[in-house]
Amino acid sequence: MMQEARGKKWDSRITLPQVNFRGGLALIRKTWLSWVQHRSFFFLLAFGWMIPPLIYLFVWSTAAGGGTVGGFSRGQFVAYYLVLIVVNQLTYSQTNWTVGDVIRYGGMNMQLLRPLSPVFDALSSEVAGKVVYILFIVPVTAVLALWLRPELHVTLRNGLAFIPALALAWALRFFWGYWLALLAFWATRADALLALQDALIFLLAGQVAPTALLPGVLRQAAVWLPFRYMVGFPVEVLTGQLNATGILTGFAFQLGWLAVALALFSVMWRAGVKRYSAVGG
Amino acid sequence: MSASQIVVKNLCKTYRVPEREAGVGAALKSLVHRVYRDVEAVRDVSFEIARGEFVGFIGPNGAGKTTTLKVLSGLLHPTSGEVRVLGFTPWARQHDYLRRISMVLGNKSQMLWDIPPLDSFDVLGDIYRVPPTEFKSTLDELVALLEMEDLLTKPVRNFSLGERMKCELVAGLLHRPDVLFLDEPTLGLDVSMQARLRRFFAEYNRRSGVTVILTSHYMADVTALCPRVILIHHGQLLYDGALHGLAEKLAPFKLIRLALSGTNGQSDLPPEADVVEQENGHLTLRVPRATTPTITAQLLNTLPVVDLSVEDPPIEAVIDRIYQEGTV
Repeated sequence: MMQEARGKKWDSRITLPQVNFRGGLALIRKTWLSWVQHRSFFFLLAFGWMIPPLIYLFVWSTAAGGGTVGGFSRGQFVAYYLVLIVVNQLTYSQTNWTVGDVIRYGGMNMQLLRPLSPVFDALSSEVAGKVVYILFIVPVTAVLALWLRPELHVTLRNGLAFIPALALAWALRFFWGYWLALLAFWATRADALLALQDALIFLLAGQVAPTALLPGVLRQAAVWLPFRYMVGFPVEVLTGQLNATGILTGFAFQLGWLAVALALFSVMWRAGVKRYSAVGG
Repeated sequence: MSASQIVVKNLCKTYRVPEREAGVGAALKSLVHRVYRDVEAVRDVSFEIARGEFVGFIGPNGAGKTTTLKVLSGLLHPTSGEVRVLGFTPWARQHDYLRRISMVLGNKSQMLWDIPPLDSFDVLGDIYRVPPTEFKSTLDELVALLEMEDLLTKPVRNFSLGERMKCELVAGLLHRPDVLFLDEPTLGLDVSMQARLRRFFAEYNRRSGVTVILTSHYMADVTALCPRVILIHHGQLLYDGALHGLAEKLAPFKLIRLALSGTNGQSDLPPEADVVEQENGHLTLRVPRATTPTITAQLLNTLPVVDLSVEDPPIEAVIDRIYQEGTV
């Protein structure tokens, strides 16, 4: 009986992060080494992700023609979508799609046996992935830029604000997807929710159209929901669509939603591991 | 008491599994009203293991072996009971605990397929915070013991099952664990690779003083390595003691093998002796353990014996009887 109680007490400690940076960095290195073996596969993935924004780039820049649509000229649409292609690529968390499999097929056992939090496994493929994608996306966007002549004037303020906006967008998109993926502890097909998240990002994060061009209700939804802050917001910052107030409000939303995502991640992780160790992997 | 590294007291683990019949109707019904069934995987199991012991954990499939190992390694928390390993509560999964144990699973891998094992080993060294000099010497020692120098720089994907197992063992032992859980480490390996790994386990246990719990369905692993066995069946502990004691306790008979010259003298056999096999003047008899000496003497007197040997029945046969009958 006493042991029961002790077990309970320990349970609450299970998930307190026991940070192991040396191990985490090593894991990133290893994952990267492994991924570089498959460059061409990731280049194909990256190419696939590029296609939808590229289509909208052509749709909107054609629509603008010689004039403007909603205040955007042809060159501004090109700039917006080229930046969006890069931001989308750098914030996309493909790792989240594999978390469910790791849980379902018992890979979580190996991760739980190591003195290193399993979130490092996901983070390491994130970092490894970004490095591989940059190798693809930078030259491709550069060529597109030479061909399509974007109209982009980056001010110092926007340039400086873009960097934290991009980092927070990645963190938000990663942890939001991660907590959804952790539903795999309970349901076998939790990745359906990841597909839903992708659909909402497509609609509300500035891919179909820049947020400013969305009709009333959708624009309100985009402003209040987390998805714009995963992709669209940093793009709007860099392309100069936001004034100082807009940028600060955006950061406030980004930080708020990131806090929510982290809290949900932490709760789901704790409850998930508890359930996992009750029912067995 | 304090010498025990592993203490398990009244361990129970009950799984709650959803249950439904086949078919669409049952599937729809289970959406609304789920029926659960309690499965007692481990029932009131207690044992203690001292530092440096090599213990065989045996039992048929589904007996509760792996569940017990998962509790000991911290992957599962028990329904009730007390477990201490190295003074830790395993399922708290403190890093200080995880750094001192290792679990090697014959059917799971922690190697990455696309990179040479050396890279994976380096990472594990960092994850377990092994000091570089110690890492080097441990790796050299393990690689020499397993004779696998040539494997270190090839990608794992090209390895045979046996070669991969060698890598798993290095990966599991690099941080010099105090307690090692081996779950079916020889699964699917050929006879000579099994023998090679057995020699390795024995030698490593002797050198390092590591405490080992081994589960295996190959009795040859257990007889070669484990002076002590713990037998679990239907989640309950049926036997805990010396391996030869298991045979004595379980098989109240011995086998006498005879080679006879000329005609066989089956008519002269004592009534307690059952003929198990008979072929070309070779005879195998099953006799009660207690009367073996007298029967042996009698046989030597009455039959034209060329050769005679007295054996315990094969351990597989003994184990098979327990697995079938479920009692000792």
